[in-house]
This record gives sequence, C-alpha cells and structure tokens, in this order.
Amino acid sequence: MNMSVRKSENTRIVDLTGDVDLSGAPQLRKLLFEALKESPNVLINLTAIRYIDSSGIAVMIEALRESQRLKRRFVLFGMNPRVHDVFKLTHVMQIFQVVDTEEQALATGNSHAGREG
Amino acid sequence: MTEPVPASEPFIEAKIVISSDVRFLAAIRHTIGNLTAVLGWNDSESQAITLAVEEALTNKIRHAYKNRPVGRIQFEFRTEPHALVFQLTDQGEPPDPARICARRDTLQAGGFGTQIMKDVMDKVVYRTTEEGNHVILTKYLPGNRHAPDGPL
Repeated sequence: MNMSVRKSENTRIVDLTGDVDLSGAPQLRKLLFEALKESPNVLINLTAIRYIDSSGIAVMIEALRESQRLKRRFVLFGMNPRVHDVFKLTHVMQIFQVVDTEEQALATGNSHAGREG
Repeated sequence: MTEPVPASEPFIEAKIVISSDVRFLAAIRHTIGNLTAVLGWNDSESQAITLAVEEALTNKIRHAYKNRPVGRIQFEFRTEPHALVFQLTDQGEPPDPARICARRDTLQAGGFGTQIMKDVMDKVVYRTTEEGNHVILTKYLPGNRHAPDGPL
C-alpha cells in the first residue's frame, strides 16, 4: 500500500493505492490520526485501492470515531466496486459519509468549513 | 474421511507452512484469488472467499501469536467433490469462544474477521487438537450451492 497526503489550508486529501491489509494498517492509522489532528476536513481517496481487508476497515472506523471526537469532517470518495463489496460485507457502509468524486468530497468539506466559520 | 475428487474434475491439494509474518499475506491472497478463479467463481465471489480466508489467517497472526512474526501457521487447501476446503492451523493461543460468538456493534473497530468468515463461507469450524488450533473453512463449488447430504 502507498499513502500520500495533499494539503490545503483546511483540507487533507489522503490518496491510498494498492492493497490495504494488516501489514499497512498501523501506518495508515497513524497517518489518518495526524491528518485529523491537523485539519477540519479529511477526505480519503479510495479510487486506486485494489484490495482492503478488515484491518483496513477497522482503521477507517477508528478514524471515523476520532473525527467525531474532534468534530472533524471525514469523507470517503472514489469507492470502486471491490472496495464497495468489502464495506457492504462488513455492514459498515451506512456509518460513513461516502461520495463518488473528489469534487463532491471537497464540496462537503467547504460547506462544513462554512458552517464552522 | 475425505472423499476423493473424481479424476474428471479439476482438483488441487496443497500445504504451505509460513511464519506468522504479515508480509506473507499478499502472497497467500494472490494464491487464493487465482485458485478460486480457476475453480469458476466470478470476480466478486472470488474476492469474498479470498477475504474470508485472509481474515482467518490474520486472526491467527493477531490473536494466536499476538502479532509476533515467529509463530508457525500451516495453511492447507483442497478440493472435495462439492467444495473447496481451507484449513489453517497454529500452535499459539486458542481462540476465545466469546470473541468467535460475539455480535459486532456498528462503531466497533474489531470482530469483522469472524463475521466475514461466517457470512462468506458455507461452513466454519473451529477445533483444537494436540496438533494445534484449527479453523476449517468450506465453500461449496459453483453449481453446488446446496449443501450435500452429510458432513463434508
């Protein structure tokens, strides 16, 4: 798995690539928690994920809980069919805010920043 | 006693022994993905089976060996007349029955593996013997959606 973060003033976009499994879960958790600490809007780009297992889903849930604690916006976008299947299989789809595109994710972030401001 | 697969049917039987090192997950995953595709499952089903088996393996790394990479995991798979069977064996901590039977809360960040195995596979059996802790996962082959009579 490769992870990178694009930063703007009030948003962090985390791009994930490859396979998200137990081997990369601790690093992913660390990166997401840092992003949540730094920014009111954290958007996760799932477009290039080939595979995600329950370790990856568990990290997403931990990050979601942290976002709720810190009152941050945590949005998933670009969920391809393979990732969608795993979210569905684990019955967690409904707890996340999921949109199709980065533009939509940014729009939710902007509206959130506007409300906060 | 396992019933032999008729010679006219595709069959495979293999045993792989690995250390409880997360770096082996990708290799096992690719093996299962290729195997299930050859045996006729579609991409979505193949991914689900791969995920379920990897969850069993991940559980052994995380719970039986507490993430220590020096444990031994025996990973076996074989075709039977109506099914593909995976058996994973470790010599670490036995599984906690409370964890196996527990129901997940929506915002709980654990317990997925057990649930995925139950949801995806047709049969999941946990057994502890002198050889170690076994989990046996059975998936009926495509076209054999209904359970055959008697145990596999």
